[in-house]
Amino acid sequence: MAEKAISRPGVKRVIGVDLDFGALRTAGPRYWAFVSLLVTVIGLGVMAWGTLLTHGGSVMAMRDSYPWGLWFTNYMYYVGLSAGGLVVYASVHLFNAKQFAPLSRLAVLQAGVLVMMALLGIITDMERPWRAVWMLLTPNFNSPFIYTGSAANIYMIICFVDLWILITGKGGHKLAHRMTLIALPFAVYLHTTTAFVLSLNKSRELWNSAVMVPIFLTSATASGVALLLICAYVMQRIGAMKFKPSMFRSLSTLLATVIIIDLFLLAVEILTVFWPTSAKPGHALRLAEFFTGEYAIAFLPVLVLGLGAFALLAGRSTRHLPAVQITASLMYVVAIFLKRYSLMAMGFAVDPLGQYSAPYLPSLVEVLIALGLLAVGLLIMTLSAKVLPLRVPEEDSAESDQVVLASHAPEQALEVG
Amino acid sequence: MLVLTAVALALLFAPGALAGQSATGELAFHPCSQCHPVTLGADGQPLRALPIGMTQHVVELEVHDILGEGDTACLACHDDPSRNPGMLLLADGTFVDVTGDVSRVCQRCHFEKYREWQVGVHGKNEPKCTAAGCHDPHTPSWIYVGALPPFQGTGMEVRAVGEWLPFKPLAGPPTPPAVLTPAWLAIVTALGAVVSAGMLGYLILGRFKR
Repeated sequence: MAEKAISRPGVKRVIGVDLDFGALRTAGPRYWAFVSLLVTVIGLGVMAWGTLLTHGGSVMAMRDSYPWGLWFTNYMYYVGLSAGGLVVYASVHLFNAKQFAPLSRLAVLQAGVLVMMALLGIITDMERPWRAVWMLLTPNFNSPFIYTGSAANIYMIICFVDLWILITGKGGHKLAHRMTLIALPFAVYLHTTTAFVLSLNKSRELWNSAVMVPIFLTSATASGVALLLICAYVMQRIGAMKFKPSMFRSLSTLLATVIIIDLFLLAVEILTVFWPTSAKPGHALRLAEFFTGEYAIAFLPVLVLGLGAFALLAGRSTRHLPAVQITASLMYVVAIFLKRYSLMAMGFAVDPLGQYSAPYLPSLVEVLIALGLLAVGLLIMTLSAKVLPLRVPEEDSAESDQVVLASHAPEQALEVG
Repeated sequence: MLVLTAVALALLFAPGALAGQSATGELAFHPCSQCHPVTLGADGQPLRALPIGMTQHVVELEVHDILGEGDTACLACHDDPSRNPGMLLLADGTFVDVTGDVSRVCQRCHFEKYREWQVGVHGKNEPKCTAAGCHDPHTPSWIYVGALPPFQGTGMEVRAVGEWLPFKPLAGPPTPPAVLTPAWLAIVTALGAVVSAGMLGYLILGRFKR
């Protein structure tokens, strides 16, 4: 593949990877319109960050009673989304799931970019990011942050190294297999420590639950697989990659399975909290806020969207339809964001002294920075779709004559957003 | 002139200094142990002279009257007055001197407040700080803002030991300060939103044209 690609104009080899810059020149106006849109949003985000650096915390809606806001919610959300990719990629090697083999590069790229977005969010959340050095110089080993922060950094590096190994083919299948043996446990470790950030809070009764860890893992896997499915459709539509319908069907089956496990764990938690003879008053009081209180508008859709997504995918006769698969995936990706948001709000709605806090709504600066970071991730994926050789060689040789339909790019990339 | 200025300043700031003293939660004085236990001689008069010709004092309870009527209310916290009312009853049945850690007496009922004070979210947890340093122990909803010398007048009126203000708990959580959004950022965002909407329109319309 490499030899074939390098013969084309506009292809440059950087550290053994053939970057196809020529594809950017042939890209249509709508592709560039989409890139300009993303750049505009990134520009707004940069200006918002500048405001934050000059004005400090006063521009944020995060307050004493609500110290973790949209960015930390996004951290958990993006870290979770990145898991799905890794699970699919790992299943290729560990369980010999050949049908997912064409997805491997895309899955690893998606995982790496999402963790990068998560970490960028933490940098803005620090307000004075240069102080991050103190976390390294004076680590507090009792704090789960030290574990989740280091895990996310290492995980990001593992993902990008893994992508490089997959693209260049260095070390062959053996090295790729070994990398899986490192990356998959690390993904589990990362998501476990992220859940620990919440569940090890003794004073926040709603988070202080051991089931938080498995719920994080299943939510992460389900939303990640859903996003990968959407991403794969987009890549197929813009002609960057080609997949068999059976691959999407397998992915949907996997998605439906993980969704129902995720919903089951959530149901178990709700039942434990509200069971008359086992309910802890503080725990029940806080969770009740999400059924009848001000946060119900964020939490009830989680159940509706989650059950809806499962119902859509449960029917065998309709599961193969792309519209059904994409709708269900979108529903679950949105559901998990709302779940993360309400989970964060749950902890802060009633503070440890029993006082109610005003509901948190992110400020303009917070929203702009969050959108800017999302646009950074989308921009990387949009450019990668053209520049990076994401096709797996076996697929590529069969599909090499396919014409790249660049003009379809923007609308599809929009669907991801 | 300098001395006069210093005296004027001292008088001016003295109430503030007293308030500061009270704000540390430290007992400003311990009058009880100076007389109690009161032992009477053969003539039925106290062996030790009571200050300012005092014979007995009355404490009026306004909140702690729920503890009972008459002596019952006193005995809820104090030892028998004929023995030593300066000794206060703890939860385990032992006594603590009124100059000691009297907060543990209050802890018997107000254990939640005691816990909040211990962890530092109620008042100040400082070495000499006690509940009675800030609250009038007989009517704890009164808090001291400045200590006055004891035994003003002929009897010991508990209210006379300090100025007091009625204590009102917060009606709700404190209102968070408003979020600052610079006007220029709002304007730039509006412009950016218009540009983005234009681009989105182009992308969506282009889809139908295809």
